[in-house]
Amino acid sequence: MGAREDEYDYLFKVVLIGDSGVGKSNLLSRFTRNEFNLESKSTIGVEFATRSIEVDGKTIKAQIWDTAGQERYRAITSAYYRGAVGALLVYDIAKHLTYENVERWLRELRDHADQNIVIMLVGNKSDLRHLRSVPTDEAKLFAERNGLSFIETSALDSTNVETAFQNILTEIYRIVSQKQIRDPPEGDVIRPSNVEPIDVKPTVTADVRKQCCQ
Amino acid sequence: MEATASSKFSDVDEYGFKRGDKFDYKFYGKFMDGYLKILTRRRIKWEGLLEQNPDLTLISPKLKRYIRKGIPGPYRADVWMKISGADEAKQRNPDLYRSLLNIQHFNKEICDSISIDLPRTFPDNIHFDAKKERLFNILCAYAHHNRDVGYCQGLNYIAGLLLIVTDDEEKSFWLLKHIVENIVPQYHSHNMANLLRDLAVFRELVIRRVPAVNRHVEDMNLPYAVIASKWFICIFAEVLPVETVLRIWDCVFAEGYKIVFRAALAMFITHKNDILGCDDIAALATLFRDHMIQDSIVTDCHSFVEAMFSLRLKRNELESLRKVAVLNGN
Repeated sequence: MGAREDEYDYLFKVVLIGDSGVGKSNLLSRFTRNEFNLESKSTIGVEFATRSIEVDGKTIKAQIWDTAGQERYRAITSAYYRGAVGALLVYDIAKHLTYENVERWLRELRDHADQNIVIMLVGNKSDLRHLRSVPTDEAKLFAERNGLSFIETSALDSTNVETAFQNILTEIYRIVSQKQIRDPPEGDVIRPSNVEPIDVKPTVTADVRKQCCQ
Repeated sequence: MEATASSKFSDVDEYGFKRGDKFDYKFYGKFMDGYLKILTRRRIKWEGLLEQNPDLTLISPKLKRYIRKGIPGPYRADVWMKISGADEAKQRNPDLYRSLLNIQHFNKEICDSISIDLPRTFPDNIHFDAKKERLFNILCAYAHHNRDVGYCQGLNYIAGLLLIVTDDEEKSFWLLKHIVENIVPQYHSHNMANLLRDLAVFRELVIRRVPAVNRHVEDMNLPYAVIASKWFICIFAEVLPVETVLRIWDCVFAEGYKIVFRAALAMFITHKNDILGCDDIAALATLFRDHMIQDSIVTDCHSFVEAMFSLRLKRNELESLRKVAVLNGN
């Protein structure tokens, strides 16, 4: 853990969703610990990890939540979507069914997450070129039609993992920081001393905190 | 590895699990010096007990005491079968397992979801590759036997560990059935209703026994579902060190669900200071996910089980907390 782990300007909660076995946990470990485990284990329950990145000189701390892909686990994850400002919806480019189920996951988000949540469609396992069953163009088009950003990643060889998280966090940051300018804060505002107030409600919620002695 | 070279212990444990890079050989050596003596003593005592009373279906106070001190490895599978009643259930329905394996058309969705988890079950166990086909049979048979549950992720770890201990598909099936239907019913079903209820009950127990710890955990905003879902779903399989899990399961098969709460509560109480020492949510999550499940406290299975039983916990209290949790909608 970094020495200044506790100092950040923005805290964004991002959830990883998608079918079982698409590589959600390895995306998380690649991004937060630069680790990939070939001998990965099925995730049971809910896990999460954090990592901070810089955008426009601001420190953004990402709190990334990961859960079991099996549908019944939605029962214990009611708190999972609460306060989430971003979602990585992951499928496996070599397993078409996991791509077909993307629509189901979008419905799940519509039902349980904030309506302004930023969603990125992620085709993982791009290293499995010879096994590809979901064409890049098809997924890209689907993403465009549904207003999602899109990227293909490989948690195994690291391709685009960093970019995927950077992009979604930057996108969230832009929305949140523009909102600050547009809407003067009122109501439920976290206002630590020494920092410009930021609206954390009602659409894109973001926990904002700044240490005074940096 | 340096640690292993200077240690008398292999980097693979007796069940075939690779000991991780962080495994504390020094502590383990010290612990085993004492524990090996305990194991030998228990073995002799159990031999005597089994000679006098090979039946084991009636759990006398003496048998209960013996079980709490650990069932010797060679007797474990058979003792589990008898004390749980799984053996009796099997005798009442001797053809069930075989007939399930002979089903003509297995549900494809169920088979696929089990297949995804097979390579992801105990990849760190050097013998387990050879057991995967048998694990598939057990999980597939059970999923078709109990359609309300079907296949629930996590059962792969429970059935996998049962298979390691019993080395017998059919016994594993009957013990799995006993756990899922009698010990923790409705944990693994589609709505996971009782899991949610018991997570709420567990939180209430923490409030009652170690209120400062609960306050701290809630101040950090770490939900109990993140901390303890896997503990309850897997009954600590693939959470704690194997020997510790087996000692817990010895008692679970003899005494039932209450033991799961004892173990969970003991985790909080024995790690009280570690929990209170974490000052942000990430550190706290790491403590629960990494450190706490492999440190010296849980590796010393004998002391950990003693800690579980030094707790005051009555079935009445759990039952009334369960009622309240259900009334409150968890």
